Amino acid sequence: MSDSLLDIQNLSLSFQGLTETVDVLDNINLSISRGERVALVGESGSGKSVIARIILGLLQSQKGAIVKGSVRFRGIELEAATGNQIESLRGREISMIFQDPTSSMNPVYKIGTIFHEILNRGTHNISKKLALIKASKLLEEVSITEFKRVLESYPFQLSGGMNQRVMIALALANKPALLIADEPGTALDVTVQAQTLKLMHNLVKKNNTAVLFISHNLGVVHQFADRVYVIYKGRIVESGSTSSIFENTKHPYTKALMNAVPKITSKSFFDASDDSSLFKQPAFHHKDREIGQ
Amino acid sequence: MKLKIKILLANPLSFMGLLLISLVFGSAIFADFITPFPLHKGAVVDFSNFNQAPNLTNIMGTDLVGRDLFTRIIYAFRISIMLGVVVLIISVPIGVFMGLLAGYSGGKLDFVLMRITDVFLSIPPLVLAMAVMGLLEPTILNGMLAVTAMWWPWYTRLIYNLTRSEKEEGYVVAAEVVGASRWHIMFREILPNCTHAIITKMTLDFGFVILIVSSLSFLGLGVQAPTPDLGSMVAEGARYLPDSWWLTVFPGLAILIIVFGFNLVGDALRDMMDTDS
Amino acid sequence: MSKPLLSIKNVSKSFSLGDYEIQALQQVSLDLNKGECLAIVGESGSGKSTLANIIMGIYPQSDGEISFKGSTLPSKRLLSHRKDIQFVQQNPLSSINPSRSIGESLRLPLDVHRIGHANERNNRVSELLTEVGLTSNYSKRYPSTMSGGQLQRVAIARALACAPELVVLDEPTSSLDVLVQSRVLSLLQKLRKKRSLSFLFITHDLAVVRNIADYVAVFKEGKLVELNGVNELFSKPVHSYTKRLLSAIPVISEDEIQLLNQIKEKE
Repeated sequence: MSDSLLDIQNLSLSFQGLTETVDVLDNINLSISRGERVALVGESGSGKSVIARIILGLLQSQKGAIVKGSVRFRGIELEAATGNQIESLRGREISMIFQDPTSSMNPVYKIGTIFHEILNRGTHNISKKLALIKASKLLEEVSITEFKRVLESYPFQLSGGMNQRVMIALALANKPALLIADEPGTALDVTVQAQTLKLMHNLVKKNNTAVLFISHNLGVVHQFADRVYVIYKGRIVESGSTSSIFENTKHPYTKALMNAVPKITSKSFFDASDDSSLFKQPAFHHKDREIGQ
Repeated sequence: MKLKIKILLANPLSFMGLLLISLVFGSAIFADFITPFPLHKGAVVDFSNFNQAPNLTNIMGTDLVGRDLFTRIIYAFRISIMLGVVVLIISVPIGVFMGLLAGYSGGKLDFVLMRITDVFLSIPPLVLAMAVMGLLEPTILNGMLAVTAMWWPWYTRLIYNLTRSEKEEGYVVAAEVVGASRWHIMFREILPNCTHAIITKMTLDFGFVILIVSSLSFLGLGVQAPTPDLGSMVAEGARYLPDSWWLTVFPGLAILIIVFGFNLVGDALRDMMDTDS
Repeated sequence: MSKPLLSIKNVSKSFSLGDYEIQALQQVSLDLNKGECLAIVGESGSGKSTLANIIMGIYPQSDGEISFKGSTLPSKRLLSHRKDIQFVQQNPLSSINPSRSIGESLRLPLDVHRIGHANERNNRVSELLTEVGLTSNYSKRYPSTMSGGQLQRVAIARALACAPELVVLDEPTSSLDVLVQSRVLSLLQKLRKKRSLSFLFITHDLAVVRNIADYVAVFKEGKLVELNGVNELFSKPVHSYTKRLLSAIPVISEDEIQLLNQIKEKE
């Protein structure tokens, strides 16, 4: 499929410790096409965050990590790619934003300097002056009007919401084909998170950027994603379009997640069953791929 | 706990450290059985045999009055360990208590206690010990007292910093909100979270205490003749280098073994602590 | 009309950081009646946690008065106050001592307030554990072997150990996973009914508020901007900030979306 951007097949991950081997991911299949917004939903310990690190090649060098399976980006097998190839992918074709915006930026550099560094990856040896001009335009796109002040500031001097927008601007600076967002906005207030997500939505639409959106928040996923993969204990248990997953939920785990989210139309909480054997049911994949929008 | 021991054994460096420490302790405990000339630990002379190079009877040679060096070194291990244990047993509780009290109380008590601690910390350790010894008779007991006096402030500082950070943790707030007394909070809530740091430091310190006591003895201020002490042996033998090299080299190596062994284990313990946090 | 259980009158709190002065709370007044669950909603910087800490006596207010059962609460709390007003914090990994067993942590309030005979206290600990859905053998375990959800249950058990009248809960489920959160919230609802407790429930999550609270107080930047019964707040919000909070709730079902649209239309 020429539209296919990211293609993960049979991905498995285990960690070899001193005394035992821990299986983290089991036979993951996941694909993203150009411009698609795909969500990966799971609770903590499900393995969702590790997948992002594998795509970026950040996990393979970790001690005791055993990675099996295939991860292809634009058809290129990432495992077989040279160090240079992967380096050129990171920050240019594939970029990432993290959960806590303020702590994911180097605190000793001004925002302007950070932009320079990032833009340098896209256009080698770009001058500081040109980088700052480009950065101002990028900040304008994320609705930051006082860009001069922001570029002169350090991350700790700005609010969480501001930093989140800066991080989005940084991530989209080199117009990547794929943006990985790891629980964005979780560390922020609800109203700020809502604003930020709206912003992200508009920007990725404009640039036709594909997004892999990792989250445990179903409401946000519902708003933002085209397709959803639900992951439980290292396995994908359900996948399909957003409407299929939310309106035609099939797997017991997904159903439990949906029920567990407190609703403003109800009067009591869902007492989820403790019986995790229910969740071990085989995966269900809805057959309704809606490609792009 | 079991996992920690397993980790210590798995790491080759700490394993070696444990081996060395067991060697030292083992020989100290069984000194009476493994030394060929147990009486030589005391005031014995054998001038027919003095200043002998290492040979089959005296594997490390003999000293200037004819005593077997190997025997004296093993007994010196015993003295060193005893000194280390006594110094730490007294100085650690004092230091920890002061650190807890200052760190948890804050305010004036904190200020007063920590400034006293600062005074002790600002004097170079050996100088302080020498000053104390200058006032007192040079005996083993006074040597131990001198080293104890300079040792506790390091624990105070360690525990003070730990207490200050633990104070902000939820469980301390929870205990306060439940109505627990400050003594309970200091000793039953905060202190248990400091034990790993204390044990690590004590292990690393053991070698250093012995080193300091040996230094005092080297200067003639600690252990007195005829009691064997590694530092004194090095001091006495130094004059006869390089001819009677065994008089200095073997006691020196013995000091090295103790300090090195405890350092290796202490380092491993410290690494474990870092991964914990 | 009976006296409120907890009465907060014109409470203000400011913190000084060098040259700065931060006004964390400004002239906040509200009442909590016996048996009620009053939720305090707000975002970061709203002052809701500051109010919780002041009520728990962690630090005193700068101005204003707090009374419990009709009498003023002194800044140095009495043991009886400590018994009647209990606390559940947000992060169970921090609020339970990692170096003490669960049993020891649960015995503490019993020992401090001398509940029952010393030798029956261990039985009470077992009872508490069962009450929050854990088995009594958890008593010997240590926090490092337990999950966040289990530890929060222990924190709840600890809060209930001396049968308090009022429990202050500061974001008790915000650091927990979705499924675990709903179980713990369900447990809290059950326990409240069973023991006729009064709750002061602090959260940023309006959907949770809808399901557990009787009354809601909305805080913004240290000020109380709206106070109403929960049904009224959701159907007829008054303050613009309340409306903004409501429209920012990430909902997933059609009914909810319709409900929010209704609220928006009324503007």
